[in-house]
Formats: sequence, structure tokens, C-alpha cells
Amino acid sequence: MLSWLIVLPVIAAASVAFAPRRLKELHLPLGIALSVLPLALAGYIFWVFEPVAGYQFVQEAVWYEPWGISWSLGIDGISMPMVLLTTILVPIALAASTSITRRTKEFVVYVLLLEAGMIGVFLALDVFLFFVFFEAILIPMYFIIGIWGSDRRVYAAMKFFIFTAFGSALLLAGIIALAVTHAEQFGSPSFALSDLMDVQLSIGAERWLFAAFALAFAIKVPLFPVHTWLPDAHTEAPTAGSVLLAAVLLKLGTYGLLRFNLSLFPEASVDAAWIMGILAVVGIIYGAVVAIVQPDLKRLVAYSSVSHLGFIVLGTFALTSGGLQGAVIQNVNHGLITGALFLLVGMIYERRHTKQISEFGGLQKVMPIFAGFFLFMVFASIGLPGLSGFVGEFLILIGSYATLPILTIIAAAGVVLAAIYLLWAYERVFTGVPDKEENKLLSDLSIREISLLAPLAILILVIGLYPNVLLDKIAPSTEAVLDRIESQTEFVIPEPGRLGDVFIAGDNE
Amino acid sequence: MIATPDINWIAILPELVLALGAVGVLLVDVQWKPATRVLGAIAAFTLVFAIAFTFLQWAQARDALEFGAPGELVAFSGMVLMDGFAVFGRFVLLVMAGLGLLAGWRLFESLNRRGAEAIALVLLATTGFSIMVASNNLVMMFLGLEIGSISLYVLAGLTREKAKADEAAMKYFLLGSFASAIFVYGVALLYAGTGQLEILAIRQFFTDFIVTRPAVILIGLALIIVGLGFKVSAAPFHSWAPDVYQGAPAGVVGYMAAMAKIAGFLAIARILLTGVPQLDNSWLPVIAGLSALSMLVGSIVALVQSDIRRMLAYSGVAHAGFIMTGIVGGATTGMLFYVAAYALQLIGAFAVVAVVSGAGSSESSISEYRGLARRSPALATAFAVLLLGMAGLPLTSGFIAKFGVFTEAWANGYGWLVIVAVLASVIAFAFYLRVIVAMYMDETEEERILVSPPARWVLAIAVVGTILAGVLPAPLIDLAANAFPL
Repeated sequence: MLSWLIVLPVIAAASVAFAPRRLKELHLPLGIALSVLPLALAGYIFWVFEPVAGYQFVQEAVWYEPWGISWSLGIDGISMPMVLLTTILVPIALAASTSITRRTKEFVVYVLLLEAGMIGVFLALDVFLFFVFFEAILIPMYFIIGIWGSDRRVYAAMKFFIFTAFGSALLLAGIIALAVTHAEQFGSPSFALSDLMDVQLSIGAERWLFAAFALAFAIKVPLFPVHTWLPDAHTEAPTAGSVLLAAVLLKLGTYGLLRFNLSLFPEASVDAAWIMGILAVVGIIYGAVVAIVQPDLKRLVAYSSVSHLGFIVLGTFALTSGGLQGAVIQNVNHGLITGALFLLVGMIYERRHTKQISEFGGLQKVMPIFAGFFLFMVFASIGLPGLSGFVGEFLILIGSYATLPILTIIAAAGVVLAAIYLLWAYERVFTGVPDKEENKLLSDLSIREISLLAPLAILILVIGLYPNVLLDKIAPSTEAVLDRIESQTEFVIPEPGRLGDVFIAGDNE
Repeated sequence: MIATPDINWIAILPELVLALGAVGVLLVDVQWKPATRVLGAIAAFTLVFAIAFTFLQWAQARDALEFGAPGELVAFSGMVLMDGFAVFGRFVLLVMAGLGLLAGWRLFESLNRRGAEAIALVLLATTGFSIMVASNNLVMMFLGLEIGSISLYVLAGLTREKAKADEAAMKYFLLGSFASAIFVYGVALLYAGTGQLEILAIRQFFTDFIVTRPAVILIGLALIIVGLGFKVSAAPFHSWAPDVYQGAPAGVVGYMAAMAKIAGFLAIARILLTGVPQLDNSWLPVIAGLSALSMLVGSIVALVQSDIRRMLAYSGVAHAGFIMTGIVGGATTGMLFYVAAYALQLIGAFAVVAVVSGAGSSESSISEYRGLARRSPALATAFAVLLLGMAGLPLTSGFIAKFGVFTEAWANGYGWLVIVAVLASVIAFAFYLRVIVAMYMDETEEERILVSPPARWVLAIAVVGTILAGVLPAPLIDLAANAFPL
């Protein structure tokens, strides 16, 4: 069944690609309609997903026996929310792309192929297969930025590609090293994640491999100081590109850290936790400070991503129940919230053809619905209780305090900074009286645009009010990661770091 | 009556057929002066027969190994081998020759009466390189190398009216003969040191004797590596490649480059891996160094090229480095896969160049590719797939190829080389992407480009092969794994 999650978008892409050329205006609707199929399947999987540790719906087929590579897919509490997020956002991103009138068909094809690749990354249980998807998604994203982006699109696309390709090159070397070691120890090569976990590594080798994997994922996240590709890529990409980039592609990094670094290199993860924590906190503060001074609304949201993803990395390397659960759920939240913010920026850009904050002012009066949605997303992003951002950040901060107290205190300042840059931006764009002539004639959101934002807003509210809808299914898997770390290393998670140690939001039944 | 020695004719059947085909093309041309199409048909039949015979050889090679009689695969008193390695090499050479004929078809037709020469030369070059990959005797290998190389020198100057092509052919000839001479000198020194010319006998020599002063042998080996390194355009012996690729007529460059690379690498692998594996302490670091140098020089210099052919030439230098990581890995499987996959991409890529710039053209600036996605979407897609395949993106044969050789090198203790290699691959992305940027992201108002049917076939085969071998690599890897040298 999981294979269908990957195959359906590919079939959809092929159907759009072979759709008759003269039915030009039908390509986008066809793509949207077909992209609902994976969403339905992902929804079904969410529905029947058992809240237990371990992979479910596992599928395995040998790809090439002598190399030990296989098409093996599975889903657990860490990947399930990500798959769901991806399938929700693709139809929305496509539906938000009505302004793309040039080469629409290609655009839809690339977005659908991107979806297949992203889902593949989250489902792959074979490291080789994972790498194939991880690298393959670069191409559609490269084209999406490079063809439909704004002025400096070619530069941004190239930067995006080279940065991430650099990371994945070392990842490839790391994967090869790991598989060769497995072959030496067990007699046959294997790339299955479960087999590679059994490889005995010297601490030196483990640290090097951890570094190779961590660098690849850190570039994707992006973690300070390898984040510089992100503002360019985000700013130049078309709306759908920014949404998918922020909501899903960046999560490949945090997902990779959680799935591979913590599981494959437990010893090195424990040792390097403070380094990753420091980088994460630097990213949180740096991203927030830079966001404050951005004159461009889209760049502001892009830097806010750097800041928010720092929280996720901090939670991951806190190595506590709260931290990991928070990281996973914040992956989803950030996807929903930032995705929505990019949609909103795209909507205003379509009307005014500028993203400069100074060009706006007083939009609240002209576009009340737009302002309402924007304020809602701003509050969600800041982490107002009752909205989903709060759940994630609260869990992360409470979880991190047990192991990385000083960093957590500094990170908490990032929450305040987030309030500053977002509310200040809101104030400059929406409050006051509209003084510019162009702004007085802007039309408010159409039914189509509202219907794009509403599902995201509802999900943010649902997760904010009742996080257990996700946490129940996430927790067993994150606990399994921690169990493994505790069993493989001397590290003991200090109280109250584990589930049950303390009252943790989402566990209060 | 003279007693005829017991000769296994099957061992050289493909070469015999090819040589006869080449002669046949020339004779038919002299006698009847038929249309180029007729000559092409003769060449096609020749290749089909030759390929059919490689299947026969493959079956025999499998049988001989199965019944534990590898000696049967040594034919003509130790001159020629019919092991899986040779047969695989021949097969790839023949397929590439077929594609080369298709890719150069427009050029051959436009040459009128000289078309026959060109077709005969293609067949002759194939004969030579085919002998080279099958030879056990170093002198035999030299003969094959020269038959092939001299045919290529002439092919490079096919459009002799053009000064650029003339220059390219001359340069290729001068530097190439120099390299051949170095190779022969190396062979002589190796003979002086071991008293053997047969590669299998040289291996036996090192098993039987302990060489205390291997200096002469090592110098000989070094010269052989230099000579063959030139043929495969490995840095620092690559300086001819960009000029020749740029000046020679577009229709034949892909064929020339692919043939020289396939035969050259198979010869290097055979000499080093089957001839002198005992000396690997001496030559492994050298090959690793050449490999790293080639990858870095090729990738970095390719970045600044404005002519697509020079770029492909430097990328070829980088690929020579990648292929050598397979030899550093001490195994032939990854290398064979890589060579086959790369040769296919190369011929396909130059087929695109021949379509865009004209089959007889010299020089093709990257700016000619602006907006190709608009002017001819299918051609742009094909080129993009081939370039990404060369770059080694997953789901193309290039990725599997790189993965294979890197894994072998890492397993053989050359981790640093793999790290250099993956970094060089990232640099390589940048220049392959430049072409894609030009094709997809630049707009132009130029007219549509029509692709001739033969070129369409080449591109279809190259693209399908690249993707198929990337998604379902098992059959080709299995074949390469079974094609080990004796």
C-alpha cells in the first residue's frame, strides 16, 4: 500500500504530461484532482495507524541482491505525520498556483514528481533507497525555482542545488562507508536501516560518519552556518515552491537527523548533542534577529524558518521524550504555519507585485479577511496557546531543559524575538490607515483563496487544542528511539526527561 | 600437406567479420558507387553479425569456465583471449559502433563519395579496439591500439576543408603517435624485465619468481600507464582532448571518444589487474593519484568552458578519473558498468551536439542551446537526461556506475579517493546544470530544430538505456560481474 503513495503521484504526473496540449487550462485542475488521491490514501493510513512502536505497512522487494539494496518501505510515528503533511500541502500548493500561466503543464508535472520523491524519502527504510529519493527531489525543485521563480531565479536555483548536492555527496560517502563496514562484519552488504543499526563502529568512525550524515541534513534544515542558500531559494521560488520548500523539503533535514543520526550513531549523537544544540540555538537567535530587519516580507518568513527549525533541532538533540515529540510535531506545525504564511505572501504579491513591507500599510481596512488569516498564522507561529505552534515549542523547551538547560533558556528568547519580528511586520503591513493609492483598491481574498487557507487554519487549531490526535501516534516511535540510545550508550536521560516523568502537554489524560 | 594448427576461429570471428565488412564497404563503393545508404546497410549487417558472434563467444566462455577448462579461452597460441572480459568489451564496442554510425549518419551522407571511407574507418577502428580488448599479448594489444587510433585520427579530419578539423586531426595524430610510442617502449621494458609478452605469462612470472629489483618493470609499467592514460584522456595527459573534441566533426566525436575510452580502460585494467596484481603496492597509489587529479582537473576546468564540446571533453577527463577509482577498487565489475554506461551517454550527448550545431560542424558554443526546451522539447529532455546521467543523479545509470566504483574503492581501503570523488561530482553538477539552465531557463525566439530519424534512434536508445540501467541495474551489473578477466 505504501508503494501506492509514491506511485500515485508519479502516475498523476504522467497523466498530466501526456494530457493533450490544447486543453491547456485543464492541466492544473487535473493535477489538483489527481493529487487528492495520495491525500486520501495517506488519510486512510493515518486512520488505521496503530499507536505502537515499529514500522507498519512494511513492504519489501529486493532491488539488487548482491549489493543488498531493496525497495523497502515502512511507516512509523515519526514519518506518518510527515507523509500526511506532504499530501495535504501538495494539492493546496497546486491550487495556489493559478498565477502560473507559462508552461503550466511542466509545472504540475514537476510538483507531482516532487511529491513522489518527498514521500519516498519519508517512507524509505533502505538507506540506498532513501538516498535515491533524497537526491532525486533536487531536480524537480531546481526546475520549479529556476523556471518559475522571480528575477534572480537561476542564481537561487543553482545555489540551492549545489549546496544540497554538496551535503548529499558526503552523505553518499558515509552511506558507502557504513555499507562496506557492514559487509566486512556480516559477510554481505546491506543497506537496510535495521541491518545497519547492528554495525559495530569504533567511536572514531562513528563520529566521522555522524558528521557526514549531520552535515548533509544540516544543510537541508538549514542549520547555521550552512543556511545561506535558504533565503535566496525561498525568496526567488514561486509560491508553491516556497510552500513545499519550507513545509516539506526542510523537514527532510530534521527527519534525517532524527531517523538516521540518532538511530545509527547513538554514541556520537550523545557526544555531539551539545554541539548540535549550540548550532540550533545560534540559528534560533540569528534567524530571528535577521528576520527583524528584513524589508522583504517573503525573506522575513524565510528567516523565521531558520529560527523555527532551530527549535526542532534543539528538541531532537535534547534526547528526551518531550524534545523528540516536540520535534516531530513541530515539523508538522512549522509546515502548516509557514506554508500558510508563504501562501499569504504569495496572495498579496499577486495583487501588488511587491513584497516590500514598506509598500504596504493599513491593509486591515482594505482586506479584513486576509488580515485575519495573517494574524491567525502569526499567532500560531509565535506559539499562542491553543494553536499548534505552542504545543511544539512548549514540548521542545520543556524537554530540552532537562538536558540542555542553558541553551534552552537562550532559545526561549527566540520565542520573544519571534513575537517581535512577526507582530512588528503585521503592524507595518496591516495597521494604520492605507496611505498608498494602490493599496486602497486591493480586493480581499476570494472564495478559492479562503478555501486554501481554511484547512490549514483548522488543522492548526485542532492540533493546538487536542495535540494527542498526533502525539498518541508519535510517542511510541520516539520512545523507541530513546530506548535504543539508552541501551546502546552509557547515557541515561536525566529526570524528568522521559515520558511519565513529568506532566507533559499531550500526555495529560 | 601442411598440418594446420588447431585454431579456435570463434575467438576472432567478430574481428574477422568487421575487417571483411570494412573491406567490403570499400570494394562495393569502388565497383558500383552505390548510394551511401547501401554502404550503411552493409556496415549494419556487419555489426549485427559481429554482435551475434559475441553471443556465441559468451556462451563458449561460460561453458569453458563451468567445465573448469579456462585454457580453452586462450586462442592463437596465447595471442587472443576469449574470456568474459574480452567479450563484454567487444559487445559494448560493437553496440557503440552501431550507435556511432547512426549518430554520424548525416555527416557521412553529406560527404558524398567520401562517405564510404568514413564508414569503413568506423568499422576498422572498431576492429582495432576490439582486438585490443581481447589481446593477451602486449604486442597484439599494440597492434589493435594502432589500428584503432589511426582510424580515429583520420575520422577526426573527415571534414578536411575545415581548418579546425584539420588542426584537430593533426594534433590528435602527433600526440597520439607519441603516446603509442611511449606505450610500446613500456612494453619493451616490461619484456626486458620479465622476458614475457603475454599478460597471463607475466602474472605467472610474478608467481614463480620473487623480483628483488623491479625498477625496469616498474618503469615499463609507468610508461604503459602514461601511454594508455593519454588514450583515455586522464589528467595530466588530457591536453589533446578539448581541442580534438572541439575541432573534429560533431557527428563522429562521440564515437571517437567512446571507443578510445572503452578500449583504453579495458586494456589498463587487463594489464594491471590480471598482469601485475602482485605489484599493486606500487601501482595502486599511482592510479589513485591520477584518478584524483583527473577528477579535480576535469571538473574544475570544465566549469569555465563556453564551448559545450570542450566542456564535455573536460567532463570526460573527470570521468576518466571516476572510472579509475574502479581500478583502484581492484575489481572490474564497477568499471565495466561505468564504461558501458558512460560510453552510451557520451555518444548520445554528442548526437545532440551534432543535431544542434550541425553534423559537420566544428565548435559549438553553449549559447546555441538557449531555450532549447522551447525549440525542441524532446531534444532538450533527452539532453537533460544524458547530462544528469553523466552527473550521476540517482535513477540514471551514472549514479549506479559511480556508486559501484566508489564502493569498490572504499572496500579496497581508498576512502580518501572516494571523498575526493564525491566532491568532484558536486563540482561537476555545476557545469552540467549550466547547460540545463541554458536549455530550460533562458528564452529565445529562434526557430524549431528538427531531429533526423537516425539521431532520434540514437537518442532514444541512449536515454532509455540511461534510465533503465539506473532503475533496474541488475541485469547489466550481473553481466559485468560475470565478465571478469581470466
